[in-house]
Amino acid sequence: MKETIKNTTLADRLLFILLISVSIAGIFISRDALSQGSNVIIEIDGKPAYTLPLYENRLVPVGGPYGITLIEIQGGKVRVKQAHCRNQICVREGWISKGVIVCLPNKLVIIVGGSKKDKQQGIDAITG
Amino acid sequence: MPNYKLLMSLTLCLCVMLLSSCFSNKPLTYKKSKALLDTFVTITVVNESREKADAAIENAFNVIEKYGDLINFFSDKSELSDINRNAGIHEVRVSPETLDTIEKAIYVSEKSGGAFDPTIGPEIKLWDFLNKIKPSDADIRKNLPLVNYKNIIIDKGKSTVFLKKKDMLLDLGGIAKGYAADLAVLDLKEKGINAGLVAVAGDVRAFGLKPDKKPWVVGIKNPRQKSNDDEIIARIPLSNKAISTSGDYERFFVMDGQRFHHLLIPQTGYPAYTCQSVTVIADKGVMTDGFDNAMFVLGPEKGIELATKMGMDAMIIDNKGDIHTTAGLQGKLTIERDH
Repeated sequence: MKETIKNTTLADRLLFILLISVSIAGIFISRDALSQGSNVIIEIDGKPAYTLPLYENRLVPVGGPYGITLIEIQGGKVRVKQAHCRNQICVREGWISKGVIVCLPNKLVIIVGGSKKDKQQGIDAITG
Repeated sequence: MPNYKLLMSLTLCLCVMLLSSCFSNKPLTYKKSKALLDTFVTITVVNESREKADAAIENAFNVIEKYGDLINFFSDKSELSDINRNAGIHEVRVSPETLDTIEKAIYVSEKSGGAFDPTIGPEIKLWDFLNKIKPSDADIRKNLPLVNYKNIIIDKGKSTVFLKKKDMLLDLGGIAKGYAADLAVLDLKEKGINAGLVAVAGDVRAFGLKPDKKPWVVGIKNPRQKSNDDEIIARIPLSNKAISTSGDYERFFVMDGQRFHHLLIPQTGYPAYTCQSVTVIADKGVMTDGFDNAMFVLGPEKGIELATKMGMDAMIIDNKGDIHTTAGLQGKLTIERDH
């Protein structure tokens, strides 16, 4: 390990520091770019099935090829509480307050953010 | 070697710039929704602190809830029900908020020549839009003498309200949501929030600017949308203004090819048919909420005339789907391309 570090040039090390900085900054910048979500959108097989407020606690059972997936919304966060797919990646994602949880086997996508449609349209509120 | 030094300084500068951006306290938008006033209320605020934003939003929700308890038409415990129960009997002492709402409702009635009337209650209660029940012509005629805002007697000094005739029913549904948005904005400002958006169903009040220093953008619903999702017919940038819309699609049923909706002409007791929807923009939510009803009843020409006279802006979609606007909206309103 020491040998490897010795073999690097100063330019290599600077590049390394720069890349780490960019990565860290990227996390924060992307967080800022996405405003705090208020809706949980559940898409089944590519189609929006539910749009639910993020601030109303509830359990949402959703059917899929591997049976019922249990989605839990609590305290402004959402998680897949229980799923019967093999890899359990969606369950291991844990709680999110913004971003996306995907369960490919169940063809399930959970999106936390403002209404997807509103965002596309750049609309902050609707009158009517 | 000097090249290395230059490279090193540049890299370090870049790193400092990048990392400092991570920890700066930039304002963000925080948004929460709650079921209040028998509808869905969404409050968005701009602030550096999530805790402060959350506390301010919760407080504003409480303000709306308390106000809702005072003016709830369907609750026996509300001040409004107390006024209605005592119609033709005696005056009722009310809170400043209830009194102010009624005063504003009378103001809209007067300015619109009675096109808006908060005493429409005896007529509106005859209609059952959910079960598609149209009242008989005789019943509608029978209740008409009970509808007249001039029979609301207010004593500001004693803070009392009296309905002159027995069986009169005051219904503040046409103005209270806008008033609630105003109350919430006032409360948010008192709590140190400088920018936000309060949407009490379709009655929206915007103040300040978004974090990107741009005005808020409010979409106006298409009155004849094809799906259940909100379809936008137009959009408008808004700051320090309120916007409300009344439409014949909110509470309605279709019978024998005719649409019966909740926006009744106070003088006839039947729905008004010259518009599909009316959107009004003014400083206060209580005004936009009240005047959109009035302009709907007045129709496109007289509606635009009234808006101009009152120094408000309006977009009226008539019964053919044509859009009429006040001169003030030209260049501000964007009509969606697919319309």
